[in-house]
Amino acid sequence: MTVLAVDKLVKHFPIHGGLLQRQVGAVRAVDGVSFTIAKGETLGLVGESGCGKSTVGKTILKLIEPTAGRIVLGSEDITALKPGAMWPHRKRIQTIFQDPYSSMNPRLPAGTIVGEPLENFDIARGRERDERVAALFERVGLRRDAMRKYAHEFSGGQRQRLGIAKALSVGPEVIVADEPVSALDVSVQAQVLNLLIDLQAEYGLAYLFISHDLAVMRHISHRIAVMYLGRIVELTDKRTLFAQPLHPYTEALLSAATAPDPRRQRRKKAIVQGDVPSPANPPPGCHFHTRCPYAVADCKVKDPPLREVAPGHHVACHLR
Amino acid sequence: MSAEANAILEVRDLHTQFNTLDGVVRAVDGVSFELARGETLGIVGESGCGKSVTALSILRLIPPETGRIASGSIRFEGEELTSLSEEAMKRLRGHRISMIFQEPMTSLNPVLTVGTQIAENVTRHLGVSKRAARERACEMLDLVRIADAKRRLDEYPHQLSGGMRQRVMIAMALSCDPQVLIADEPTTALDVTIQAQILDLMLDLKEKTGTAIVLITHDLGVVAETAQRVVVMYAGRKVEEAPVEALFDNPLHPYTRGLMAAIPRLDTDAARLQEIPGMVPLLTKPIVGCAFAARCPIATDRCRAEAPPMVDVGGGHTALCWEVTS
Repeated sequence: MTVLAVDKLVKHFPIHGGLLQRQVGAVRAVDGVSFTIAKGETLGLVGESGCGKSTVGKTILKLIEPTAGRIVLGSEDITALKPGAMWPHRKRIQTIFQDPYSSMNPRLPAGTIVGEPLENFDIARGRERDERVAALFERVGLRRDAMRKYAHEFSGGQRQRLGIAKALSVGPEVIVADEPVSALDVSVQAQVLNLLIDLQAEYGLAYLFISHDLAVMRHISHRIAVMYLGRIVELTDKRTLFAQPLHPYTEALLSAATAPDPRRQRRKKAIVQGDVPSPANPPPGCHFHTRCPYAVADCKVKDPPLREVAPGHHVACHLR
Repeated sequence: MSAEANAILEVRDLHTQFNTLDGVVRAVDGVSFELARGETLGIVGESGCGKSVTALSILRLIPPETGRIASGSIRFEGEELTSLSEEAMKRLRGHRISMIFQEPMTSLNPVLTVGTQIAENVTRHLGVSKRAARERACEMLDLVRIADAKRRLDEYPHQLSGGMRQRVMIAMALSCDPQVLIADEPTTALDVTIQAQILDLMLDLKEKTGTAIVLITHDLGVVAETAQRVVVMYAGRKVEEAPVEALFDNPLHPYTRGLMAAIPRLDTDAARLQEIPGMVPLLTKPIVGCAFAARCPIATDRCRAEAPPMVDVGGGHTALCWEVTS
């Protein structure tokens, strides 16, 4: 059952310049991205800095307005909803961030922070709210008496648990998790990943899991979409992606990743050279052709569409 | 051991402390290791384990207002660094021992061109002419594979990408042919395809120049693929040391084992990640017994009461643990 469908999503940020601050161009952060997520499923969105993965997340959450495309939550098209009309749907799609500390009021006790959405959405007040918050604390592995503590008294991993409790409090169907474990040490990262997996099984949550870390992706995702310069270049189930990557960029990412195995030879793993071009001025044709070791003449002029080359395996490359 | 005779850098029982409002933090609490000529030594551990403070101690870069090397010895080519004058340290840094950091933008001067900054280091230490220093700078940018080096010399750090800035830092660090390069999380801020380029580059240059490297990282994958020997740190202590294959084949310390079971793998689908319960201990209080005891699955009463011994199992593999037998 699809709970979130995104179709040809586009987000361009205008660039202003000159004396009159006219629009002189646009950063094409997201340039036609489509995917669906089912109940109880995790779709991983992986890519390097500036590929647009976080912008996809923010646009779906309607924290920023899409330039074009459609976002369908359940059976509701939320693309054009104004803030007031969007309000009741916000319960259904929640988020957890990389750094939950920056979103927590340092003067409020943790219990109040986690309970805020319950009041905002008129779900519970007073004693009932406190009871619900206490249950949430226990569910995410925090002690009840931690409700009286302040955000700075928690460790990084505990703050991420608070962020998860807050997102869970309103009973969402979809959670957009943007690099939720990137700032955590590995021993704590494992705790948070396990918690997210358990919660998904318990509540049938759908996750859009945004990360740059391929190993984390492999662990938590069911399907993975690889993004490069605003576009999805490959989308398939995780086993296929790691066993038979089809897009040269996916291949480059997998080859560049390090593994805790000293016998895996590290020699010459960088199969792509150079830096990612600017999304304000992406290369014509296939965005990846400037770094692609296999690029042919066609790649420089023709835009490769995302095609289904095997059941469930989508790739945007002229050579596949 | 032969490694000792060949050691270019020897750290013995290093204690580095900081004064904070919460009391004295024992950031490094009795760490010893050696670095052999031409070797790459990985120092791995999580936030706050003291790996960066160890590096800063070696270069005597601990801010004197808040911290100090309380005791211990650091010998570089037989010379004791802890008692060396500040003037002599200045001659050493960037010349015979160099360092690169995680975020190059914070160590590059934004108002000077990269050519000027590399040349400055060369003139200071080698006393060559401005012209020769600029030529050396150009040569170094070529060496770190920055295309069109001549033109890049006159660019400012903000005009370069993150990966290129790290290349400039490496160029600067290697410009006076140091015997030791200390790299503190050199690729952590970089994207994975750029990280691969920088690691390839560092290993290539090491082969060319013979510089010994201390690579400090939280990333077991980076250590596995670059280091020959590894020191694992926890709560300011060295808990395990081994040749890289031995460490990954047969981790001895429960903390090392825990870390390895906690990382998601690229090559297999683990059903569930092992968690290390609890948190790192506060370093403001002296730790009684083993620092890892509170989180250790096999800890006994002795572990909580008595400091564990460093057990040598042979082949250069040691672990700070009561439960490991030699």
